[in-house]
Amino acid sequence: MKKLKYSEILACNRELGDSLPGDDYRVALLSNIVMSQLSDVLEFQLRRQGIKAKVTMGNYDNIVQDSQRLKEFDAVVVFWEVANLVDGLHASADILSDQELLALAERVEREVFLVMENLIHIPLVLFNRFSSLIFSANDLRVGPLANLSDRLNLALGGMASASKIIVDLDKVLAKVGLDNATDFRQFQSTKALYTIDFLRSYAVAVTPAFLAATGHSKKVLVLDCDNTLWFGILGEDGEDGIQIGGSTLKGKIFAEVQQILRGFRQQGVLLALCSKNNPEDVDRVLGSHPDMILRNDDFVAKIVNWQDKATNLRTLSAELNLGLDSFVFVDDSSFELGLIEKELPMVKCFQVPKNLSEYPSLVRGLKQEFFTLSRSLEDDQKTKLYHQEQQRKGLAAQFDSIDEYLASLKFRLTILWNEEIPVPRAAQLTQKTNQFNLTTRRYTEADIQRMLLDTDYTLAVFSLADDYGDYGVAGMVIIKLEKASPGRAVIDSFLMSCRVIGRKVEYAFFNEVVQRCRRMGITELRAEYLVTQKNSQVSNFYDDIKFEPISVDEKGKEYLIRLANYEQQDIKHISIISKGN
Amino acid sequence: MNEIKQKVLAVMAGVFRMDAADIPDDAAPGLVEKWDSLQHMNLIIALEEEFQIRFSDDEVVEIMDLPTIISVLKERLGQ
Repeated sequence: MKKLKYSEILACNRELGDSLPGDDYRVALLSNIVMSQLSDVLEFQLRRQGIKAKVTMGNYDNIVQDSQRLKEFDAVVVFWEVANLVDGLHASADILSDQELLALAERVEREVFLVMENLIHIPLVLFNRFSSLIFSANDLRVGPLANLSDRLNLALGGMASASKIIVDLDKVLAKVGLDNATDFRQFQSTKALYTIDFLRSYAVAVTPAFLAATGHSKKVLVLDCDNTLWFGILGEDGEDGIQIGGSTLKGKIFAEVQQILRGFRQQGVLLALCSKNNPEDVDRVLGSHPDMILRNDDFVAKIVNWQDKATNLRTLSAELNLGLDSFVFVDDSSFELGLIEKELPMVKCFQVPKNLSEYPSLVRGLKQEFFTLSRSLEDDQKTKLYHQEQQRKGLAAQFDSIDEYLASLKFRLTILWNEEIPVPRAAQLTQKTNQFNLTTRRYTEADIQRMLLDTDYTLAVFSLADDYGDYGVAGMVIIKLEKASPGRAVIDSFLMSCRVIGRKVEYAFFNEVVQRCRRMGITELRAEYLVTQKNSQVSNFYDDIKFEPISVDEKGKEYLIRLANYEQQDIKHISIISKGN
Repeated sequence: MNEIKQKVLAVMAGVFRMDAADIPDDAAPGLVEKWDSLQHMNLIIALEEEFQIRFSDDEVVEIMDLPTIISVLKERLGQ
């Protein structure tokens, strides 16, 4: 919960309540100590999740009697404080006789049974475990108060069921810290014991139960692949280069994450992939990479293509027939997450942390998003059921608002010509880039140096930055003048790194290349698309910018581009700087 | 109106669920309907969050009306 101040919670709570549609979701709060602050905090937390909660306090110290009069409530929270089972028990427990303690235990046990019986028809009951931690934290041995709590909890545990959840207060206390959780200034006067911080944490901890009870819990976990399921970029590092498990630190982290996700799948969470990659590449990894823990069967759907992810998630939602508000999305890329947050705000997004050691904890924490009240034997089968039912539909429509998102990122393209080029990186680009590569010619640093010294060659790389950060040098062009035909040149290479695909940079870059050629007196450009296993996504690149192929065969396509006929691509969202001759 | 008084009135308005304009200058538990012992602790909590301070046990009991709250805050905040 964002740390709103208590007074802000009080103010916002009222507004929220008025703005939510529908009937009140009635929650009763029964306690034997003063808990009035929890009613505001819990209401606010639930209302922020879209549940129109109305919390009603029971009478102070009358839990049993209150439990008899809750006919039309949707949920009941029972906060039974051990320290106040009798007035001042936290202090007197150590001096009461064994018989007195026994009598007390038996009395409260009977009361607990009674309360649970009275609440049997309430759709959701949150009953806190009895906890003495606040008063017994320093005891090396189990004292009378702790003993009493243990005994009562034994009885309580036996009454847990799908809709009667026993909440472990000690977990919340651990998160908040004992010192930060209690405020004894209120305790003596009004018997209020907990700080707002504790109550906030408590409200957050129990939220999944309410979401599940009102049908709001998430159902689908959509995952990216590169640097989300494995370390590395499949398109650049290849199957052998990505790291999962094995002996590397990063590989081990991703292996642990995959195991956690496998566990989710077995508990009924639907896993889906949404990745910018060649589908065959991903299929091969899922099918035969020896270190992968997640396999094809674990995924209810895989959307692997070069389209924007917002469109892909919409497709997924339609395919699975599940609303986007039941989706959780995990990706390492700020760009992708930003797009989804803007286009599909109902999808809950999480980013792979920069410090990978924190990644497994993040994933573990996602479990609560998918909390369900009833666990069934079918949970394990859910994914398979979806496999059997679904049919793949065609491509979903593109949405214009993607352009708005791109514009908001303020892309800066820097083009470096000839001597400005970082030679090692340029060579590496030609060697590693497989997908967005028109001719896939591989060059060494020596080759690049040779071309730079040759006046027939013109080379350029570009680097890209946006408001999220710098992508570095990510694309390249190599142009060769045709000595035999003055005014004509050939595009030897035109390529771009995976990490900048989907932002229309290639069009902005090509514009600059054409302008440069014109300045050099070139009137015609020959261009080629040479087919490889990996570059099918660019097979129509030159066609898309309105060039007609002059020949087409199984090896690829050849084009002749008259620069006079070239129509500048309208790419408003990228600003451009050029350096070098 | 000085800044401290303004903030305190805003906090009170939130805790007591009333308009800041309706809070009298000598506001105290007797004069403000919602200001009972329970709400007093809520007020303490809200004031502590707003001004980033923690009142001592003595101050909690002392600050039982608006003028005293303001003067104690002024002292604590070194104004």
